Order: sequence, then C-alpha cells, then structure tokens
Amino acid sequence: MSWTSDPILEVIGLTKRFGGLVAVNAVSLEVGRGTIVGLIGINGAGKTTLMNCINGIYKSDEGGVTLDGKDLTGRTPHEIALAGVGRTFQIPRTFHRLSLIDNLMIPMLRSKQSDDELIARAERGLERVNLYELRANHGEELSGGQEKLLELARVMMLNPALVLLDEPFAGVNPTLCRLMIEQILAMRSEGTSFLLVSHDLTSIYRLSDWIYVLNQGEIIAQGGVEAVRNDPAVVEAYLGG
Amino acid sequence: MNSVLLMNGLIGGLVFGAIYALIGAGLNVIMGVLRVVNFAHGEFILIGSFMAYAMLTMLGVNPLYALPVVAVVMYVGGMLAYYVLIPGLARSDDPETSSFLLMFGVSLMIISVLTWIFEADIRPVNFSFNPINVVLFSIPDAYGPNRDGVVLIPTARLVALGINIVIIAAMTWFLYMTLPGKALRGAIMNRDAIQIVGINVHRLSAAAFGLATGLAGITGVVLTLVIPSVDPNGGADLTLFGFIVIVLGGLGHPVGALAAGVLFGIVEQLSNVVLPQAAAQMVGFIVLVAVVMLKPEGLFGKRQSR
Repeated sequence: MSWTSDPILEVIGLTKRFGGLVAVNAVSLEVGRGTIVGLIGINGAGKTTLMNCINGIYKSDEGGVTLDGKDLTGRTPHEIALAGVGRTFQIPRTFHRLSLIDNLMIPMLRSKQSDDELIARAERGLERVNLYELRANHGEELSGGQEKLLELARVMMLNPALVLLDEPFAGVNPTLCRLMIEQILAMRSEGTSFLLVSHDLTSIYRLSDWIYVLNQGEIIAQGGVEAVRNDPAVVEAYLGG
Repeated sequence: MNSVLLMNGLIGGLVFGAIYALIGAGLNVIMGVLRVVNFAHGEFILIGSFMAYAMLTMLGVNPLYALPVVAVVMYVGGMLAYYVLIPGLARSDDPETSSFLLMFGVSLMIISVLTWIFEADIRPVNFSFNPINVVLFSIPDAYGPNRDGVVLIPTARLVALGINIVIIAAMTWFLYMTLPGKALRGAIMNRDAIQIVGINVHRLSAAAFGLATGLAGITGVVLTLVIPSVDPNGGADLTLFGFIVIVLGGLGHPVGALAAGVLFGIVEQLSNVVLPQAAAQMVGFIVLVAVVMLKPEGLFGKRQSR
C-alpha cells in the first residue's frame, strides 16, 4: 500500500547479498515528490547498503529501482547521477587537493556553459553553505562538518530530483548542523526530494514526512513520525527485548 | 673541481631529468587514476622509439616530424588497449597485484614482438642535426690563465630538452588549469566521488591510459635524440626509473613526479662528474632510500591524515 500518490523514487523488492549474508532483503520503499523520507535502523541494519544499491555503487541481486518512472536498475553510478540522483556519504568524499570552487565545477564537466558562468554557479553554491570565503582553499583544509556542507553544495550543482543523504549530521557541530538543515529544507521547497539516513532521531523526526525502519535488512515498520516513534517493533529493535 | 665539467653535468642532468620526469608522470597518471601498476611503461616508451626508428629508416622521416604521429597513434592505441586490458581486472580479488602481473605479461609480449620485427640487436638511429653541437657559453680561465672553457651541448639533446620542457609545461597546464585535467586529478584523489558527480569513470580512465601511453610514445622519440640507438630489451631500466621518480615525487602527484625526475637526473649526472663511476651509480639510489625512510609519502606528497 503506497503512502504517497506521487512517488519520485520507487524501490521494489530489492535484495543484496554478500556471499551468504543477506544485507538487504526484498526491501520496497517510496519517496514522494518534494518530500523528505527518513530511513532509520541500528548499525548493520543495511541502510548504507540500500543507498549503495539505489545509486549503483552495488549491483542488486534482485528487485529494481525507478526514478520518476524511469528504470535505473543495473545502471552505473555516473548514469544514475546524471539521471537525477545525488548522493552524500557518511565520510565525505570530496576532492581534497582541489579548491572548493573546483570541487563544485567538476560535476559540470560536460556543461556547455562558459567557464565564467560555471565559476559564478559554483560561487553561488558555496555562498548557500557559507563557504564562499574559503572558495580558494583546498578541500583538505575544511573541518569534517564543512566537508559535509561542501558535498551537499556539490550535489546541488547537478540539480538532482532526489538526494540520498547518508548521516549528514554525524560529527557536525550544532551551528553547521542548523545550516545543513536550512539547506535541506530550502532544497525541498525548490522541489528536491530526499532519502535521509541518520542516527540522529531528533533530526529525523523533525525533518521527515515519512519514515521507514530497517532491521537486519528488512523493513520492519513505516509511517508518520508519531506512528514510528510509538511503534513497539521500533522500540524493540532500538532498545532490545 | 673543474667548472666546465660541473656545468656539463648540470646540463646533462637537466636533459636526462626531463626524460625521467616524463616517464614518471605517465606512470603516475596510470597508477593514480586506474590503480594499475604499469610494469610495461618502459616497453610503451620503446614502441615510441622503434616507431621513430622505423619511420626514419624506412621512410626517411625526421624524428621531429615523427613525434606528433607517434603521440597520436600511441594515444589512440592506449585508449583501445585500456578497454582490452583493464576493465577485466575489476573482477579480480586483488586488482592491483593482478594489474602488476598483467602488465608484466604485456611488457614481455611487447619485447617479443619488437625482437621478432627488429631482431635483438641494438640498432643505431642515424640522425644528426647541423651543427652537431651548440656552444652555450664559455667560462673564462676555466683551465688556467687565458685558457677558457667552453660549455657545449649536442644539438639533438638541446632539442630534446626543449621538447620535454614544452610537454611538461603543457601537461602541467592541462592538469592544473583545465576542467578535464582537474577531473583527472579528482579521479586520482577519489575515484568514487568522480562517479557520483556524473562522470563516466571508464571513459576518463581510458583517456588517462591514452594520455600516459601518448606521453610514453613522446618519451620514446625524445630518447632517440638523446641516446641515438634502440634496444628491444631496454624497457625494464626505463620502468625502474619511472618507479623511482614516483616514489621520490609522491604517488598520485603528477607534477611531483616531474620535479622529482629533474632532481634525480641532476643528482645522477652530477655524481658522475664528481665521483668515481661505481660510486656515482649509487648516489641516486641513496637519495631514493633516504626519501623513503624520512618522507615516505614522497617529496611532494602529503601524509594521509584520515
């Protein structure tokens, strides 16, 4: 039974095995257009593996993924990125020996715009995450939290329809965390949808329109914030029996 | 110490150092972007040398005119070779070790083919410039009162140095000033990140492989100007110099390799001037061991902190 009438992302019966271990087991979920969907679960539940299957880093063994009705199953990470799926990582993957401006220009390699236009776009991206003053610095000179903001700004450069955020608030100080949340909400108001993985349940409960709970590779609960917060299966999974 | 000999050593160091720099830069691009240990890089250089030799002896083409032809053919050939050789490595449990063995096999194959076509003899490349030598400057009273010394360089080596400087400058400009060059460096820094920003990593890797083999081809032609002979068995030494240069300069640091190549060349050639030959051969390697022990990330690399 679908919770949204207008899904941008549909994951259908997705399974990923590593040898004998079933990391993700027949997971189906949806992200509604312009919504933020939370994905929670304890360590090892399969959250990051699921994200890696959605954006093509892992090939799923069964099931499929569609974005706005287009089948993304079996496509490569760069094809999925160009199709409109952005991705950030728990440990940011920035280009640490390139300037912040260059970090944001790399995604626009295929763009037909002039260098001046690309630089202006990259500068606007950095302004949004308060990194403009550091635009000439290298990625390796940033703090962990600033790197996460840089990664988010880099994702924005491709104007994705959907962004997969993997632990965006982990290890980020409260000020940068607020800035991150502001940007996520601003992007949502501009039409971007999000699948958000986080251990920070406060942020998940605050931001999410719908929440899925993953445990041992399977969806054990889903619903709105209040329903999930009070679901006995969720309490059991998080706090143990 | 005779100042004429010292200056000749320094100039010789620049000439050879620029060649080592090109060898190291090509090897470093392949290792950085593809994580492939290219044990056949020296043999790719030999292909360039033998192409120049064949064009000179069979068609009478001046190596300077052969240079762009060799560069283009090697670039295209390298891109095609990438698609044949490299993607299959991803299915291995240990791609880097497999790449070493694969490219070692390729190096043996190239040696066999070159020996089959050109036979195992060392062959002279009969080409000279007019004038044969260029006088760079004179040093007054170098050999005593009123006995001036003359510092000269073979014209072919001067041309080789000039070509190398242009290629090194062009490569530095490409890697540091253009967006495709920055993307190539980005792939060295983080291969996953390149894919998730929408760049086809296979196409980029093929271009990197082509760039490196193109550089190897250019190095091969330039080498025939500096050492006018070709030898199907000379590739291993060239590969060794390439590895020395990337260890000195820092892995995944193409411009570091360029600087390290020049440094190694100057140390090696100056040692030949000031020390007995047997001792001189050791000096470059002593520098290498010292760098590995004191600064294992290379002279221009940065220590990984996370």
